[in-house]
Amino acid sequence: MIPAAWTCLLSPLAAALLITLAGTRISRRGAAYLATASVFVSFVAAVVSFAGLLGDSPKQRYHASTLWSWLTAGQLDFGLRIVVDPLSIFMMLVVSGVGMLIVAYSIGYMEGDDEERRYFAYMALFVFSMLLLVQAGNLLILLVGWGLVGLSSYLLIGFWHERPAAIAAAKKAFVMNAIGDATMALALFMLIQRTGSLNFEDVFAQTDQLGGSWAVNLIALGLLGGAVAKSAQLPLHTWLPDAMEGPTPVSALIHAATMVTAGVYLIVRTAPLFEQAPRVLELAAGLGAITLVMAGLIALVQTDIKRVIAYSTMSQIGYMFMAVGLGAFANGEFHLLTHAFFKALLFMAAGLVIHALAGEQDIRKMGGLRRLMPFTFVAFVVGTLSLTGIPPFSGFFSKDSILAAALDHGWYGQLLWIAGMAGTFLTGLYASRLFFIVFWGEPSPFVREHLMASSHAHAREGHASHNGHETHEHAGEGPFSMTATVGLLTVLAAIGGFLQFAEVWTPVSDWLAQVAPPLVEATGVQEAISSVLAVLLGLAGLGIGWSIYGARTSEAPRVAWLQTLLERKFYFDELYDAAFYRPSVWVAHALGRWIERPLVFGSVRELSEGLRELGLGTGRLQTGLVRTYALAIAASLAVVTVVFVAVR
Amino acid sequence: MGPDIVWYLAVATFLFCTGALGVLIRRSPLIVLLSLEIMLNGANLALIAFSRHYAQGDGQIFALTVMAVAASEVVVGLGLIVAIARKKLDLDVDKLSTLRG
Repeated sequence: MIPAAWTCLLSPLAAALLITLAGTRISRRGAAYLATASVFVSFVAAVVSFAGLLGDSPKQRYHASTLWSWLTAGQLDFGLRIVVDPLSIFMMLVVSGVGMLIVAYSIGYMEGDDEERRYFAYMALFVFSMLLLVQAGNLLILLVGWGLVGLSSYLLIGFWHERPAAIAAAKKAFVMNAIGDATMALALFMLIQRTGSLNFEDVFAQTDQLGGSWAVNLIALGLLGGAVAKSAQLPLHTWLPDAMEGPTPVSALIHAATMVTAGVYLIVRTAPLFEQAPRVLELAAGLGAITLVMAGLIALVQTDIKRVIAYSTMSQIGYMFMAVGLGAFANGEFHLLTHAFFKALLFMAAGLVIHALAGEQDIRKMGGLRRLMPFTFVAFVVGTLSLTGIPPFSGFFSKDSILAAALDHGWYGQLLWIAGMAGTFLTGLYASRLFFIVFWGEPSPFVREHLMASSHAHAREGHASHNGHETHEHAGEGPFSMTATVGLLTVLAAIGGFLQFAEVWTPVSDWLAQVAPPLVEATGVQEAISSVLAVLLGLAGLGIGWSIYGARTSEAPRVAWLQTLLERKFYFDELYDAAFYRPSVWVAHALGRWIERPLVFGSVRELSEGLRELGLGTGRLQTGLVRTYALAIAASLAVVTVVFVAVR
Repeated sequence: MGPDIVWYLAVATFLFCTGALGVLIRRSPLIVLLSLEIMLNGANLALIAFSRHYAQGDGQIFALTVMAVAASEVVVGLGLIVAIARKKLDLDVDKLSTLRG
């Protein structure tokens, strides 16, 4: 089981290195297949480890393995250490499974791009980093993985480096994440100081002594800072929508299915620590609730197909944060799983649309794709229903048990429950808006031009035309690698929820209970109330969306200031600009003007002038006449001698 | 025993001062070198006189070292003088003042 886990971890790294080192000696397709194969190997290895873990009795499902001592400082010794336990296996399966499908999807999506090799090397690097993050056996290795996923996310957002917007988005993502990394590092320093170790079991064994102190609250807060930044929750969320500048499979893999859920994983992984800091957990739940409502509202007015889904991602991660914040760790992880299915599906279906429409992402230009892309249509229907939480699709099972858990947490939980319910309604509304605008009605002129005319042109010329990224056209809805993976994910999103049906059938919760036992237990009644209400609200959202955007029987209410507020995303970017960017620019200018120029430059100039004067003065002593030198030496010797004699 | 050490030192001082005077007031590099030699020999005489006076060999060994240094110095100095003469420059140390600051 341990060798399998190492294989799982190292196989994508090997692929990334191989593609990088091989350079042009490997064909573009070769790089694509190599990356896919390596992630497939990872998935198989994860399944093997899973099978091995299944064979153990539940109490003994914890295996650690250290390759070598990685960092030694005084008493501290951090090994290159991985842990195989139910939680890490769960995440390994999600990361490598969904990752495999998305990398395979990329084979078709990225075909014809100039830098395919670089893309696939980055993708493999990302999968490695993410696996390192979830398999890490101590918090230091986890932080390394944490930083590496940030790096690969940065590289992939900025993959199309000739677009200034992509570069700006990549930098933004990196900086925002760096804030979280910093708070996390501070938390780790405090942990080292308090417990003298970063190994999970050593740290958790000592959390009781930390209990309730301000230190444990600070540590939890620092970890939460990292989680919030990585998972794009309020107030460090502004990078995620911009990250949609990257290729669509990247958005599906990194910014929907895996990396952005790392924050949820971190909280579940360090649950014993967080349990000692209940206020911080409640803060996490509150942030999640605010984010899920806010992102849902913003998603209502976005016009970029990927940005709508990005805000939806933020909203769904808000649910996960709510779940783990309430102590319903398994429910949060289960939602992470189903969300990985249906959100990757939505992104990849959107990718099919974008691919077919020559890179266009503006939904106002789309419409009536239902008949032109029937396969994508079906995939999108499943994704939308699953996202909204309509039974029997997967979102229903996971989201409703989160809401039920909220009811079991006093008045604060009820507050969150109301937010979650509002979020369900908003989810239905924005999901149906997106769906009906893109797929319903008559084909728009833009769609007609691209999908109908281009298929004629394609038939005539017999080859794909390249005029930019994402712009090669195909007969049908996309190459096999894309449609097949979307089909698989459609099935998973449709039936994935049956893994767990709260109260009746709870394998996921049982599986994870050993690592992070839940703090709340929702009763059957609470489950039932939440499910029924959530489904009704979701349906209401869908219905209103249908009447506005599908049947067009009613007008969307227009409130000018509200719309501006939402289109401006609650002015967060402007706020950060005014609060951080502008003051620092001002300070820099002021320092340059009042400090650097007069003091630094001035003093250097003064100093050099003075030295020059001094040099010229001394230079005059140098006559070039040997005899004066000799005289000077003789005279000084005489003086020295006289002084010596006199002193004696 | 020979004469008192004071005599030796007087001669040494006389030699040294003669040499120093020569270095300071003569302008021909050849004479300057010669005067330098006289200075060195004055110093050598003092070393050997003290060596005898204290009945220790150190001073004599040091005098040998000084002779070796003097010999190599003459090699360099004469070489320079020959080089100057080859360039048909005046043999006058005051005119070789390129290094003036």
